[in-house]
Amino acid sequence: MNKKLTPKFIWETITGDKQLLAGTIGAIILILVVILAPVLATDDPYYFGPDSMNLMGENGHILGTNHMGQDVYSMIIYGARTSLKVAIVSALISAIIGVFIGGIAGYFGGKLDLIISEVINVFLMLPTFFLIMLIIALFGNSLMNVMIVIGLTNWPSNAKLMRAQALSLRERTFVRSATAMGETKWQILMKYIIPNGVFPVVSNTTMGMSGAILTEAGLSFLGLGDPNIISWGQMIYAGKPYITSAWWLSTFPGLAAIFTVLVFYLLGDGLNHVLDPKYSKKR
Amino acid sequence: MKRFIIRRVLSGILTVLIVFVLNFVIIKAAPGDPISTLMGKDNKDPAMRAALEEKYGLNKPMPVQLVNYLTTAMTGDLGSSMIYNKPVTTMIEEKLGATVLLGLTSALISAILGTLMGIVAARREGSVYDFVSSGTQYFFNSVPSFWLALMLIIIFSSKLNWFPSFGYSDARANYEGMAHIMDVAKHMFLPCLTMVLILIPTYFRIAKSSVLQVSNEDFITTMKATGMDEGKIFRKYVFRNAILPSVTIFGISMAYLLTGVTLVEIVFAWPGMGRLTLTAINQRDYPTLMGVYLVMSISVAVVMLIVDVIYAYLDPRIRYD
Repeated sequence: MNKKLTPKFIWETITGDKQLLAGTIGAIILILVVILAPVLATDDPYYFGPDSMNLMGENGHILGTNHMGQDVYSMIIYGARTSLKVAIVSALISAIIGVFIGGIAGYFGGKLDLIISEVINVFLMLPTFFLIMLIIALFGNSLMNVMIVIGLTNWPSNAKLMRAQALSLRERTFVRSATAMGETKWQILMKYIIPNGVFPVVSNTTMGMSGAILTEAGLSFLGLGDPNIISWGQMIYAGKPYITSAWWLSTFPGLAAIFTVLVFYLLGDGLNHVLDPKYSKKR
Repeated sequence: MKRFIIRRVLSGILTVLIVFVLNFVIIKAAPGDPISTLMGKDNKDPAMRAALEEKYGLNKPMPVQLVNYLTTAMTGDLGSSMIYNKPVTTMIEEKLGATVLLGLTSALISAILGTLMGIVAARREGSVYDFVSSGTQYFFNSVPSFWLALMLIIIFSSKLNWFPSFGYSDARANYEGMAHIMDVAKHMFLPCLTMVLILIPTYFRIAKSSVLQVSNEDFITTMKATGMDEGKIFRKYVFRNAILPSVTIFGISMAYLLTGVTLVEIVFAWPGMGRLTLTAINQRDYPTLMGVYLVMSISVAVVMLIVDVIYAYLDPRIRYD
C-alpha cells in the first residue's frame, strides 16, 4: 500500500481482478438505479392503481401489478434504495464498532484483550438472526431499527480482523518509535494502528453488506419489515400466496436481491484479493 | 485432550450464560411495563402495583432479578406462552424434532456433496467443471433461502407436480411403517433440496481452497520430487488434510443453517421451529420468541462443542495447542 492512489493505479487494480471488476460494474449499475429511480420507474410505486393482479406487460405494466394494484417493476426499482440504505448504514455501524473494539483489544492487550476475544468468539457463533428478530419484534419494525440492530449485531467479525491487525502492528518499529516519542496510547491507536490495519475490515464490511441485505429480506419475509417502505423481501412475502397463479410477483424481486447481494459479495472478494498482500504475491 | 475438553466446556457454559444475560437485558430494555399491562390501563392503585411487583420479584434490585431469572431458566422453566398458556419448553419440544430431522439431513448431505465438489474443482483447477461449479456457488451463496424455496415450489410442485409443496406427511392417507417413512421423505424432498443448495457453497469454497493450499505445501512437493505416485499422495495426504476444515465449518455454519431452516420451514409449512417462530411473531408472543432464541443458541453451542472435540481428536495440533 505504498503506491499512490492515482486514477491510473485505481483503473489498473480494478481491471486486474475479475471479481473486483464485475463487482465494480455491478455497483455502478446499482448506484445509477438508485439515483435515476424516478426516471427509470414507469409508475409511482406507492400508487394503488385500479389495475390489480395484471399479467406481465398488461396495461403497460412491464412486470404486472400486485394485489394492491402497485406496479411491480417500479417497486423493484425503488426497492434498490431500501436495500442499499440497509447495506450501507448497517455495514458502517458494524465497521466502526468492530474497528474500535478490535483495535482496543489488540493494541492494549492483557486481561481486557482476553475478555473481549472471548466475547467476540461467543458472538461469532451465536445465531444472530434470531436475536435480531427478537429485538425487532419487541422494539418495533421501523427501517431505522432494522438497520441499527443489524449493525449492532454484526461487528464481531470486524473486531476479530482488526484485533489481529493491531496485535501485529503494535510490535512494528514505527509504532514503537511513536511510543518512545511520548505519544499517548489513544493517539497511537487513532493515528497509526487503525489507519494501517483497517484494510481487512474494508473487504469484510463489503461482504457484510450482502449479509445485511439478506437479513433485511429475511425479516421482511417474517412480516417484520417496515410496512411504510418498499423492500424486495416484503415483495416476495406479498407474492407468496399467489405463487402458483402469479409467479412473477415473487420471482423478480428475488432476482433483484440476488443481483445486489452478488455485487457486494464479488466486490468484497475482489477487495480482499487486492488489499491482502499475501494473495497478490501468490499470483 | 482432557484439558482441551474442559476448556471447551467452560467456554460453552460461558456462551449460554451470555445468551441468558442478553435475553434478560432485552426484556428489561424493551418498551412497555408488564405490571401496568397486568393491572389494566386505567387502574392506578399503588397498593396493587406494589403487591404485584412483590409477587413477581420486580421490586428487587436488578442483579437479584438477574440471578432469579437465571436460576429459574436453568431448571428448564422458560415461562409460559402468552397466547396458548402452555409452558414454552413443551411447545418447543413438540416442534424441535421436525427441525432437527430437516436440518441435520440437509447439513450432512450438503457437507458431503459440497466437500466432494470442492475437491474435484480443486483437482481440475481451470477446467470447465471448475468454472461452472465456482460460478454456480457464487450464485447460490447470494440466494435468499425462502425465495429459492418458492422457486422450487413453482417448478417441482406447481408445474411438474412431482413433489408435495407443504406439510410433513399426507394427512388423509394413514400410512404405517415403511410407507410412512417414504411419505415423509417425499414431503421433505423440496425443503431439503433448498437447504442443500444454499449450504453447498460454504463447503465447496472451503474444500477447494484447502485442497489448493495443502497441494502447495512443502511436504507434498517433496513427495512429488521423490517420484511418489500422485494419486497416492492425493489420497493419503492431501485429501485427509483438506477435509479437516469441512469439520470446523460444519460447526460454524450451524447458526446459518438454523436461520435458513426456519425460513424454509415457513414456506413449506413444515411443522418445526420455523412455524412456531412465525406464529409467535404474528401474535407478539414474547416468551415463546425468547425461548426459541435460547434453544437455538444452546443447540449451536452444543453442536460447536461436539464438533470442536471431534476436530481435536482428528487433528492433534489443536489438542496440544
